[in-house]
Amino acid sequence: MCDSCGCGGAERLVVEVNRSVLDENRRVAQGNRRMLREMGAVALNLMSSPGAGKTTLLERTIAALKDRYRIGVIEGDVETERDAQRIRAQGVPVVQLTTGGACHLSAALVHKGLHGLKGIGEGVYDLVFIENVGNLVCPAAFDLGEDVKVALLSVPEGSDKPAKYPALFREASLFIITKVDLLEHFDFSLDEAERLARGINPDVEILRLSAVSGEGVGSWLEYVAGLAEGRRGIRP
Amino acid sequence: MHELFLVQALLVQLKELCEEHGRSKVSMVTVSIGKESCVVPDSFAFLFDAVKAEEECATGALLRIEEGEGRDLILLRVELEEADRSV
Repeated sequence: MCDSCGCGGAERLVVEVNRSVLDENRRVAQGNRRMLREMGAVALNLMSSPGAGKTTLLERTIAALKDRYRIGVIEGDVETERDAQRIRAQGVPVVQLTTGGACHLSAALVHKGLHGLKGIGEGVYDLVFIENVGNLVCPAAFDLGEDVKVALLSVPEGSDKPAKYPALFREASLFIITKVDLLEHFDFSLDEAERLARGINPDVEILRLSAVSGEGVGSWLEYVAGLAEGRRGIRP
Repeated sequence: MHELFLVQALLVQLKELCEEHGRSKVSMVTVSIGKESCVVPDSFAFLFDAVKAEEECATGALLRIEEGEGRDLILLRVELEEADRSV
């Protein structure tokens, strides 16, 4: 109690906290990681700006691999079920998460998505693809419990983007340049994009592909198969 | 707009700190926003004031922002009080 006026408000306590505001997200992400292990799945978090070709690449990937591996997809969007419908047409379990305005997926939302996938069929998967909300900035800050973060950049966006949006390219284990069938129409330098990405993240693996023409898709499928079969080490 | 998510995560931490220390009111919050955190300080401050009433303990809290290094957003310290019983 306060000595001067007798009010109860004077007993001030200063607490040094020094804790990340993202701690709770990290805690839930660790739970997601455990859940994925229990499901037997490797999870890939696909991140890019809107329209870089995440859904198209997923469609092609699922069509090529669904007979070999049990695949589940978590679709993140601000609004609508459109992407989920496209993936569902491939005949694999999909859970759509709408963020209601938020520009990224959080671990808690993905946790709901994983429970959703677990509830479909036997709930056992080799591969879980998480398609993040189209955004080149915010998704990078949030650990979802995934095993591999994949950054995609399409040729029409320009080869300077790794320098302009470094957070995403720093976090990624794999960097995919998409829509390379359009290279002749755009002033996009593969060398520049790759040099900038490696400047930020020297260990990043880089693939070039076009999900439309099929060029380079084989290397990506091999990468994914390596993850599914545990042949490829996962960066912690 | 991931600042809103972060503000809400901060409010949950404030509530937990009040419970942990047996106080009912947060008077001051100091956070450090890393230069590479992709968090816009002005947006964060605006949203904090806009939604702090979602946690009763934080209704009267003032926010102080320090510029930090790196990518993290850190809750540095809080000042806790009993709710004002003089009124």
